[in-house]
Amino acid sequence: MSVININKKTKSTQSLGVGTYTFLIVAVILSVFPLFWMVIAATNKSVDVISGTLIPGSNLATNYKNLIGSTNLWQAMWNSFKYAGIMTVLSLLVCSIAGYGFEIYHDKHKDRLFSFLLLAMMIPFAAVMIPLYQMVSEYGLLNSTAGFVLPTISTPFLIMLFRQNSRSFPHEIIDAARIDGLSEIGIFIRIYIPTQKAVFAAAVTVVFMNGWNNYLWPKIIMQSNDSISMPMLIAGLQSGYVTDYGVLMLSVLFCILPMLIIFFAMQRYFTQGITGSIK
Amino acid sequence: MKKILFTLACITIAASSLLMASGQKEATVDTSKSDELVVWLWDMGFNGATMQKAAEIYKEDHPEFNLVIEDQGDWNTLQTKLTTIASSGKLDSLPDILLIQDNAFQKNYMSFPEVFTDLSNTNIDYTQFASGKTGYSVIDGKNYGVPFDNGAVIFGYRTDILAKAGYTIDDFTDITWSQWLKQARVVLEKTGKPLLSAQAGSSDIINMMLQSAGASLFNTDGSPNIVNNDVLYKVAETYMQMLDDGTCIEATDWSGYTNSFSSGAVAGTMTGCWIAATIQGATDQAGKWKITNMPSLDGIPTATNYSNNGGSSWAVTSACKNVDLAADFFAMTFGSSMELYDAVAQNGVLGTYLPSANSSVYSQPNEFFSGQPIMSIITEFAGKVPAIEGGAYYYDARDAVCTAITQIQSGAVAKEAFQDAQDTVNFMMGN
Repeated sequence: MSVININKKTKSTQSLGVGTYTFLIVAVILSVFPLFWMVIAATNKSVDVISGTLIPGSNLATNYKNLIGSTNLWQAMWNSFKYAGIMTVLSLLVCSIAGYGFEIYHDKHKDRLFSFLLLAMMIPFAAVMIPLYQMVSEYGLLNSTAGFVLPTISTPFLIMLFRQNSRSFPHEIIDAARIDGLSEIGIFIRIYIPTQKAVFAAAVTVVFMNGWNNYLWPKIIMQSNDSISMPMLIAGLQSGYVTDYGVLMLSVLFCILPMLIIFFAMQRYFTQGITGSIK
Repeated sequence: MKKILFTLACITIAASSLLMASGQKEATVDTSKSDELVVWLWDMGFNGATMQKAAEIYKEDHPEFNLVIEDQGDWNTLQTKLTTIASSGKLDSLPDILLIQDNAFQKNYMSFPEVFTDLSNTNIDYTQFASGKTGYSVIDGKNYGVPFDNGAVIFGYRTDILAKAGYTIDDFTDITWSQWLKQARVVLEKTGKPLLSAQAGSSDIINMMLQSAGASLFNTDGSPNIVNNDVLYKVAETYMQMLDDGTCIEATDWSGYTNSFSSGAVAGTMTGCWIAATIQGATDQAGKWKITNMPSLDGIPTATNYSNNGGSSWAVTSACKNVDLAADFFAMTFGSSMELYDAVAQNGVLGTYLPSANSSVYSQPNEFFSGQPIMSIITEFAGKVPAIEGGAYYYDARDAVCTAITQIQSGAVAKEAFQDAQDTVNFMMGN
């Protein structure tokens, strides 16, 4: 009897395994194919890209030369790094303290304020764009990193992420630290931050990606050619009456490389940080 | 502890100072110099290259002149930016010169009249431009724009594919849509290739057909002319027929549309002459294309084989620090320089400056288009385009008609769908 049971179990596990793996393989192909196609397209001529070639071509050097010749690629890369980097540092600083504060020092009023803050997540950016432009223009921040970064430093999502993760942070440790004479900011920096590395890593990934990919806002406030970012450069490449798809794909490749590096470097923490917030 | 706090403070100070430094540095970019003009446009290869050439020509006599071109990516982005800036009232952050789509010119003026500068009393001679073109930027008898490129409609065909079906380009020249439908069915049958593709959700083909018969979506008094527009019904019928036959296929977006003929899946295309540059992008098809005029509508007395799609004009904004310089720049370049039009003709830029039609450059054969002198041909077409009532609500009417066409495609009754479209436009106009 038990033998039959074991056989049955193995069989069902096996069939489940085949089904799951088939599904996963299809999912992987669907997710990886666009990336694969992008890399292949970057090495081909525009005509070959259009005709759907899936074999690496020999046009990479020409595409690179055309890309460098027609755009200010390195300037745009540096700008994107600058905007996204500064945004990440400042956002993490502001949102982690806010999230920590909302959880650790919470009372009825702060909770209500927090709910109000979450409502802000639902306001689309297009609705605040014009008044925001007015403010930024008023303070002379057009064409500046400050103009780009300031409106997005504090985001409800990040504050929520930090707050949810702070829930699992034991209050006993805080009490012990207070008894030992550590100041409140000391508790935050010396105890909270080191224990929340995963959340910070997840936040870095999210903020950096948002900053890097942001298009509409920089497009509105960055007016000079020297201040364009990578998404703006890519948009410019496909706006003309003639689009060179090889060059376009190469620029997209350049654009996603930093994101890939950051994501893979922090992948482990990213999953921990995000799942931590759901628990 | 102190060390950590100190590090944290240092990071914050460094980040803030970097913010402020970059802010100060870039915010003080000097656009106030009287001999400098800043221009916003899209498509560096086409519009940008033309402006650059114009600046070079103007610099010969005005060495101190400096033109700063700021590429805005595409027209939609420029429009979003213009709307944001004009709505916020911070007009001083506008450039000196803007490139504006002809069809959007009037609506932008109506929405934000404070953005535009009257260029009527300048030394720009507007009589030297095609009158249909100048009309886009004339409001209440005042000129607010300098005409730029042409959008005369061409119909390009793959002659190698036509030959397989036993046709030549002459069989598709000066024909009507009923002849076209008949011949396109033969081509599809024998070669398996449709002769036309369109962008789904775009009413370009409908509008080109309408204008070819001198019909507009507006009456001369500015009221919408949709539900009782006989030409529109004829156009819708023709368009539906070609979709049903499969001689015209719809692509999901713009790149799908351009890819359809660049990849050789579709054997022809019909749109503004600026598409010639895109067609020539498929270098493997050199010598296999020819252009001709579009078919005319059957049974419409005013029908012609000529129409217009696209084109843009330059506007000088109210933020311009030196309107005289801007006006003189346009008068000396776009308004009188044959050298400019000759130079940019290679990029496929065809101006609406009338004397440029006599240019020797225009009559040069184009090898890609089987040796046809396409610039001369297009200029000839441009001169025959019927003028129509555009109006400020052109884009709204286009969108409404487009929705109606999609409804008719899904089985709605044409009259009801067009009535809805007319009601929508009336609502937009506040009627």
